[in-house]
This record gives sequence, structure tokens and C-alpha cells, in this order.
Amino acid sequence: MVVLLVCSLFLLGADNSDQAIAERSVLAEQELELNARVDSLRSEQDRLQFQKAMYAVDSKYLVLNISARTGQLLYKNRVLKDFRFTPSKNFNAEQLKPGVLVITKKTEAKNDRHALRFGKSLIIQWRRKTVPPQEADIPFISLTKKDLLSVFFAVEEGAMAYVVR
Amino acid sequence: MPYKISRMMFWLVLPALFLVLPSALHAQSSPFAVPLDELRSRVQALQQEASRLEEENKGIRQMLKDLEDDDLYLVVDTESNRLSLRQGNAVLHAAVCGSGSRQFIEEETGRNWYFETPMGSFTVLGKERNPVWIRPDWSYVEENMPIPAESDPDRLVRGVLGKYALLLGNGYKIHGTKWTNLLGTRFTHGCVSLGDDDLELVYKSVKIGTKVYLY
Repeated sequence: MVVLLVCSLFLLGADNSDQAIAERSVLAEQELELNARVDSLRSEQDRLQFQKAMYAVDSKYLVLNISARTGQLLYKNRVLKDFRFTPSKNFNAEQLKPGVLVITKKTEAKNDRHALRFGKSLIIQWRRKTVPPQEADIPFISLTKKDLLSVFFAVEEGAMAYVVR
Repeated sequence: MPYKISRMMFWLVLPALFLVLPSALHAQSSPFAVPLDELRSRVQALQQEASRLEEENKGIRQMLKDLEDDDLYLVVDTESNRLSLRQGNAVLHAAVCGSGSRQFIEEETGRNWYFETPMGSFTVLGKERNPVWIRPDWSYVEENMPIPAESDPDRLVRGVLGKYALLLGNGYKIHGTKWTNLLGTRFTHGCVSLGDDDLELVYKSVKIGTKVYLY
């Protein structure tokens, strides 16, 4: 009896009418959809705010479209260069979240094997023969030699890139 | 007696537990655990948040659109020696060009020159047909010739800059060249060189005021 009483108390909060159940189901579905919509709008706003900021500054920047495997070098609202890239084997598109990356290091190497490093998130490179141990785990994307040289010398350390999916 | 009561309780409670427990567990792990009012207010809050974000994004998009235009612009990539005529995201024409050689020369007096194409944002300040090259001092130094007076007619050379020139300021131009086999390399004294056909197309496409981005 005690257990029954506890169980009924436990279920007191639950509304058992069919109408309420149907409403709950609809609301739950709406909540899921709205959460996804809000996430998408926040992400869009982040990208638009970045674009707005870059239109105002005197600095070249990159936009990397991970799913299309394409990139652009831009200055304000002008496209200076379009390029394609190939992701490395350890590149996990899910790990690289949409948003801003900053060039933390420009490495000039022999035979034009330069690299642009974005912290521990990403490296943009051509074919590098030797990878420093501290960069071994960082995913990279490879550009053609010509594209890499154009991009490499166009941007400075501290320049930004925006990752989109 | 207490034993009998306990057994009776057991047989009453056990089936009840089987009936009730799954519903109770279901209630804990599903939205049904949330009071209906709370769920309603959560959905309402999300609707308001979505509307606010939509409104804000619309405003920023409009702001960005106001900053955009359909103007043509030129881009010169001095690493790959390519010039492109663009409009928005579209490449209307791409051409192989020549850019500054990055060579250094020095006169006996110590005066020196570094032949580099300037980088940055420029504007087409003028357009010339059949441009005349006014030979600068470095041209004579390069050929070990005596430097004539500034007004010397020997400085005026016709035909070497092609049929057209776009003036970018400080003596820098986009013009034609006799050395078309060197296009695609760095061979100029700082100007951007194009082949005849590309030069004509670019010249006819752009106007004074067109933006030129050199990088």
C-alpha cells in the first residue's frame, strides 16, 4: 500500500489526459526544432558579425568552406582569390567548428614548403617534408603550391580565417 | 498473522509495481517529466529568441548589402602573376601578367632602386591610349648610359607600353609589353604588364575610379 501510494504521488505531476499528451508531444517537437533554429541563427549571426567587422578593417582574411573544400582570400568585401584544398587524413570536419581562427604562426621553409598555423586547430600548407613534432597531431589542409604561395604572402600573423560548413 | 499480511501486501504491490514502474520511468526520461506550463513557456521563450535573432540578422544582412556594389574591380596576384577582372564573387576574366622583378640596382652616387610592384588598394586614376614611356633615370643606369636632362626628348619612348595604360599613381601602371614571353614571371620595374588582348579587354572594361587590389 505504501509503495502504491508513493507511486501514485510520483505520478501526480503527469497529466494523463489524451489532449495534454498530444500537446506535450507537439511542444516537445517544437522545442527541438526551435533549438536547432536558434543554433543555426546564432551561427549565422556570428558569421555576419565577422563579415561586418572585416568590411571595416584594413586586413586580408580567409574564408574556408570545409564541406565544399574551397576557400577564398578576401579584402573587405572583395574576393582576391578562390582556391580549393585537400584535407589531411587526420582532418575531422566535425572537430573544426564553424567560427573564427587566427593565424598564430607563419613558417617559411625551403623550396616553398611554407605553412600557416592556426593555433592547434589547423595548418594550411603545401607539401611539407618534415612536420615538427608539436604539429604532428594538428589537422591540415593542402593547397596547390601556387595557391599556397599567393595566400601565404598575402596574409600576416594575426590575420583571421572564418570556417563555414 | 503479520506473515499473512506481508504476503497479501506483496501480491498486491508486485503487479502494481509492474504496471506503474514503466510509466514512472518513462515519465522521468521524456518531456512528460516537465510540467506542461514549463514546456509551454520554454517553447515561447525559444520562439521569441528565434524572432529576435531573425530580426537582428536581417538588419546585419541589410547593412552588409548596403556596403556591397556591382562595380568591377581588378585583382593582381604578384605571387602567381595573375590578373583577374571581377565583379562580386564572379571572375569575369583572368589573365597572365608580369609584376616587379624584385631586383635592386644602385647608381655610382649611391642612389638605388628596388623594382617591386606596390601592394594594397589602388584606384584607376587615368586611362591612356598609345601611352608614351618617359624613361626614368634607372633605365639609363641599368644600361650604363649617361642620364639626360629631365626635359630631354630622348626620354620619350613610344610603343613600348602597348596600346593602352591604366594609371595607378606614383608612376605605376597596368600596361602592355614587348616581352610577352616573360608574362607569368616577375620581370617588370614595378608596373603590371599584360598581353595585348588581355590589356585591351581590361582597358575597355574598367573606368576611372575602378578599384585595383594588388597583393
